[in-house]
Amino acid sequence: MSVSVNHNLKEYEQIATRLRLHVVNMVAPSGQGYVQQGLGAADIFTALYFGEANMDPANPTWEDRDRIFLTTAHNTAIFYATLGERGFFDTDLLTTYVQDGSPFEINSCERLGAFVEATCGSLGQGLSVALGCAMAAKRQGRNSRYYVILGDGEMQEGQIWEAAMLAGAKGIDNLCLIVDYNFVQSEGPMDLVMSLEPLNDKMQSFGFHVQEVDGNDIGALLNALATARTTNGKPSFIKANTTMGKGVSSLEGLMFHQLRFPKAVADSARAELEAKLAS
Amino acid sequence: MSETLSKLEAADFINRSFQPLPRSYGDALMDAALEDPRIVCLSADLTPPTETDRFRDELPDRFHNVGIAEANMIGIAGGMARSGEIPFVHSFCAFVTKRCFDQITMQAAYPNLPVKIVGFLPGVATLLGVSHQAIEDVAMVRSVPNMMVLEPSGPQYHAAAVQLALQHDGPVYLRMKRPEKISQAPIEQRPLAYGKGVLRRDGNDITIIAAGLEVDEALAAAELLSKEGIDPAVVDMHTIKPLDRDLILERASTTGAIVTAENHTVIGGLGSAVAEVLADAGMGLPFKRVGVQDHYCEGGTTSYLLEKFDLDSAAIAQACRDLMHRKS
Repeated sequence: MSVSVNHNLKEYEQIATRLRLHVVNMVAPSGQGYVQQGLGAADIFTALYFGEANMDPANPTWEDRDRIFLTTAHNTAIFYATLGERGFFDTDLLTTYVQDGSPFEINSCERLGAFVEATCGSLGQGLSVALGCAMAAKRQGRNSRYYVILGDGEMQEGQIWEAAMLAGAKGIDNLCLIVDYNFVQSEGPMDLVMSLEPLNDKMQSFGFHVQEVDGNDIGALLNALATARTTNGKPSFIKANTTMGKGVSSLEGLMFHQLRFPKAVADSARAELEAKLAS
Repeated sequence: MSETLSKLEAADFINRSFQPLPRSYGDALMDAALEDPRIVCLSADLTPPTETDRFRDELPDRFHNVGIAEANMIGIAGGMARSGEIPFVHSFCAFVTKRCFDQITMQAAYPNLPVKIVGFLPGVATLLGVSHQAIEDVAMVRSVPNMMVLEPSGPQYHAAAVQLALQHDGPVYLRMKRPEKISQAPIEQRPLAYGKGVLRRDGNDITIIAAGLEVDEALAAAELLSKEGIDPAVVDMHTIKPLDRDLILERASTTGAIVTAENHTVIGGLGSAVAEVLADAGMGLPFKRVGVQDHYCEGGTTSYLLEKFDLDSAAIAQACRDLMHRKS
């Protein structure tokens, strides 16, 4: 059974760059989209899908796979790029992204395939589903782990806290939340809308094992995920601080939920990433 | 390049034109708020897409962004309404109804408070997919006692819809679609009468009763049919509850056949509401509901989705032809 693939750090970084290049190529045709989030989260996706999680692309419904729930379902360019590069489907299909009739919709939907573990575009619901799966796995004696990639803005939904409270109270330790902390929600910087801080203290008081890492440092992410895997009796929370637009110098740090992506900007981003891959 | 980069922020994810869209609803809400100091505005992290950015900027002390938390928003609105304010709460249709339905019933409808629930992205009409498509919202909200349900057929009626929502001394659900393109001329606002459907096109052979974006599809279908010698009437049923029972019965008598058209599942929405009126009156006649036929949809451009799911003018025209055969 195929499980996680081990690479050295340099290889992981090359993978993340390939994913970023896909993001650029996928969003460029429409001239607008979730570029910044995709570039920012590329390292989290690389660490989870190519390092930590046990899965078998040839058998996406493998019962003992680790499940990854993308609850920020709009962050699809990086999600589909990751699934394609991991071998769940041919990356040529990514060119249909957001076209009429394509299952590669802007919000991920399980009609694409079993590797979309739940349809989560309505924010705040995925954590409960992952928790339910994790509790069922425990009762059934299975060793799968359950990862949830949460958005920071999404944590304003009350249902997140209902799920977190239960996970902590029951000590569901096969559950791991990774919040992609890019500090931007639809209307702008989070503290302009409603701050989540002190987030680590909140999660700790809810009974989570808490780690905070640079979400654009693949080595740090892999270490945090390994620690989470060996933490018994508590669910894990990893606050992964990410930089929007990471990896493309002209976009890095531009904190926009929706980015216009004119051809000139896309071309320069593509050139930069291609040069990085060739080096 | 640097000049380009400074302009990279996109307004929101309905507006893909990169130009400011008209805010017929948002401007009307502002006008109403300037007249009535009880009006306050609540948003759940979707302020520009719900046209409330002017309100946010011009009346900041009466504007509350509660974060991505719709159930909490409805409860807060109930509290504000109990305290003498008239809260207008905003999100996409799916989130401002389905996510917080129990809160709507207990904290707005049962106490019969003037909580005005405003949703955009009605029905299938969005790229954002099944999670953002509200195809069950009218059925749900229509079933709630005390509730008024409004679905204007275009931005030219959005100011009138705000007035109707204020005329109703109780909870209201206002279901609206933003224009997808900028218009050259300013959008002239047209009036609507409380509880009265609008006969947008008179005709003798069959009546199409439509709401929301389906009204324009119905008018286009009527044009198609008129070339085939069929003379349809089109009713813009902007108020789904309370429903204009008299107009429905009058049209049933004069044209003898009715097609309904809604951007919603055919179960529980406008078509069901019209059927209830006809059945209660003991009227049997050729009748057909155009709408989503009890299945989920997918994201896409509006024109693509209307065609794919048989919600466009061609589908309405075909429904009319079928009924004309049954009439004769």
